[in-house]
Amino acid sequence: MQDGMFTAALLGQPNVGKSSLFTRLTGVGVISSNYAGTTVTFEEAVVTRKGNKVRIYDLPGTYGMSGNSDDEEVVLEMVRDPEIDSVIVVADATNLQSSLVLCFEVMELGLPMILAVNKADEARKKYDTDYKELERILDIPVVPVSAKTAEGVDDLADALCEGRGRRSTFQVRYEEHLEAAIEEIMGHLKKIRFDQRGTAVKLMEGTKTFIEGVMPATAQIASVLRDNFETGHRETSDIAIARERYSISDAIVRKVQSRTRTKFGRKDRLSEMMITPSTGIPILIAVGLMLFVTMIFLGSLLDEAVSYIYDALIGNTLVDFGADKGGEMGKAIMLGIDGSIRAILTLVIPYIMVFYIILGILEDTGYLPRAVVLVDRTMHHFGLHGGAFIPMIVGLGCNVPAIMAVRTIRSRREKLILTSLIVMCVPCSAQMAIIIGIVGKYSGFTYAFAILLILLALMVVLGLGLNRFLKYEPSNLAMEIPDLSAPSLKNVLFKTWNRIKDFFMIAFPLLVVGSILLEIALGYNLLDFVIGPLSFVTVGMLGLPAAVILAFIVGVLRKEMAVGMLAIIAASVGIMELASFMGPEQFFVFGLVMAIYMPCLATMAVIWREMGWKETLAVSILSIGTAIAIGMLANWLLFFF
Amino acid sequence: MISGNREDYLIEILRLTEGEGKVKTNDLADKLGVSPASVSEMIKVLSNDGFVTYTKYRGAELTPEGLSYAKQLRKKHHIMERFLTDVLDLDRDTAHEEAHKMEHVLSDDSAVRICRIIGTPVDDDCSSCESQCRAATGLGRISKKLSEMMQGDRGRISHLKCEEPKTVKKLISMGFVPGRDVCIGSNGSRSGPKVVTVGNATFALDSEMASFVYIEPSDD
Repeated sequence: MQDGMFTAALLGQPNVGKSSLFTRLTGVGVISSNYAGTTVTFEEAVVTRKGNKVRIYDLPGTYGMSGNSDDEEVVLEMVRDPEIDSVIVVADATNLQSSLVLCFEVMELGLPMILAVNKADEARKKYDTDYKELERILDIPVVPVSAKTAEGVDDLADALCEGRGRRSTFQVRYEEHLEAAIEEIMGHLKKIRFDQRGTAVKLMEGTKTFIEGVMPATAQIASVLRDNFETGHRETSDIAIARERYSISDAIVRKVQSRTRTKFGRKDRLSEMMITPSTGIPILIAVGLMLFVTMIFLGSLLDEAVSYIYDALIGNTLVDFGADKGGEMGKAIMLGIDGSIRAILTLVIPYIMVFYIILGILEDTGYLPRAVVLVDRTMHHFGLHGGAFIPMIVGLGCNVPAIMAVRTIRSRREKLILTSLIVMCVPCSAQMAIIIGIVGKYSGFTYAFAILLILLALMVVLGLGLNRFLKYEPSNLAMEIPDLSAPSLKNVLFKTWNRIKDFFMIAFPLLVVGSILLEIALGYNLLDFVIGPLSFVTVGMLGLPAAVILAFIVGVLRKEMAVGMLAIIAASVGIMELASFMGPEQFFVFGLVMAIYMPCLATMAVIWREMGWKETLAVSILSIGTAIAIGMLANWLLFFF
Repeated sequence: MISGNREDYLIEILRLTEGEGKVKTNDLADKLGVSPASVSEMIKVLSNDGFVTYTKYRGAELTPEGLSYAKQLRKKHHIMERFLTDVLDLDRDTAHEEAHKMEHVLSDDSAVRICRIIGTPVDDDCSSCESQCRAATGLGRISKKLSEMMQGDRGRISHLKCEEPKTVKKLISMGFVPGRDVCIGSNGSRSGPKVVTVGNATFALDSEMASFVYIEPSDD
């Protein structure tokens, strides 16, 4: 109970669809994708049903309950919380064996539970499953559900609200020697939070959190028993325990689920083509090209459409309003604001939205983990493994979730390398919008493409360099490859909205207010103290107008704002059309520096939280230095050739 | 052909040398409780069969064939001993006595089957067991690393071996548990990650991770 409210947690292995189910149950949107580890922090929401209120937590996916990774720690800590009244274990009907093993672990800990068997619709196509029999064997409520079709979700909500979750009497019996050891440990356990037997099993497994939670003497006994078992059996006790769990789980699945031989279908053939290098690499390149080409074409099309709509709806209203109320000064202010709103709208809606729609589709098909297999070896040259590919792709959208996804990587060194690469070499959607929407528009797509190539080259150099510079630690890829599945339009649109809504809710108001303040400051020459002293960078090194420094500075707050800033700066010197504010080469240098330099404020905050202030500072300084150096080089080269 | 009595000599030489170095005729005679003369006689026979080499004044040494034959025998001894104590509940001494007789008549195939019943091969001093069980050489049951398997290969996980307990725990939690069936899916390049199906789930493991998982390949 928490605040007098019944509290439950959704727990399950990665990619069984906890987040989708959570969304179905609560109506609170959380992002879900077709690969493991989409949820790294947990969400909570309250469901009301027939007058009962239930608070539900969506926990990150865990394969087991050994506290072996940060995620497992979080989950263990969470279920230890006495305020959790019930655990909903989410199983995957198409992979029941593994799901049941996790279910056994939760049972052993003596927690009241409900088993929600997700993907029931998909499983029905392949096997017959006797859920009643499963319920009888496991002695807990078993509810077949489908987060996709919403089938059974009402039943689950009812079961939850009526408090039908209960402790099971089902017990996994281990082989004799293990049982003897478990019994011996149980004799020494006093005053513990979990079930006595469950704790003894966990001690026998050698689970750190539990070892630290009992009396040192008991821990010592458990350690001796583990060693004895290992010498006697030539197998560690944790493996033996897992082996027994799986064999029991297999026996149960054989009983409740008919076995049909799965055919090698079209999906499997496609999956194989994606993984085999000879066909997979062309597919990977094609997917990459498709991403950019779609962004460019669909983006420019939408860009024009948005401008047209803006003209039709608002037109010169803002500017006229400014002139009407504030004379020349008012007109200048409103011109800047009008320009920046226009720039933002024509940037965000076309490019950022299009990108997120494509990313959403890629995520839901399950293509990304397959690309991971392909790029694994290449990534090793950078001291990373293939798994780093997914945060990088997510980073094409926004660096914040990308760096949060880095959390799943254990080694500090890998975190640092990956974070640096994401910050500097992976343009986020706002940076991409600048590259395509500004550089592409005013300098030409050859220049835009050149920026992407430079970023790629920088990634190679930086990756190799950091790999050499930082002390070696091994890193290994072990990742689940989900089945391919057709993306659902609803989920893709929902995710896209979730990802860009921040922009409208936070960035847009910030931008309008910021624009007004800056416009006034510029009008009264209040910012000369920044523009002047730093002009040696902007004018001297980069060959840009001195005032552009303001765009760079504002860009630290949010990258999209830099674009709006350009319009304001241009307006402040009386230029209405951005095209005549800078030359094509200048736009190129501007775009290049913007693409590399400094993480935005939100990104810095998340690096700080995930890694510490030293790393944040190091990454920021490295990125500013590199950006200026490369910008300067580009400026010089363009000047001479 | 080797008779029961000769096999006892082979096992005893193995126990005394563990496959390295030579054993003196007198030591062997002491252990077996026979006269040094009979030992010399038997060693001649064994060296004619190619199981030992004998150097005058220095002693007898197992040849590679002799070593693997002796290890296989000792393995059978341990399997029987284990079966008699664990399953039939005999006391250790009786079990040892009986196993001593049974080791000579037990076929390789039956040894493997008994091994299966009593679970993972358990051996106190059979060093061949640590990585892979050679009790049944020639039956094609030698486990190999998952990383060495090829596309389309199937098998059953026999054991996991890695110095890092965290890595073992990770593999276990992903379902790489002894006794489960695996199948190798499309693998791209030789040193690239392996795509492995275990149960109904598919994983990508890079070659290092895959080298910690040992598989007993299935016949077909």
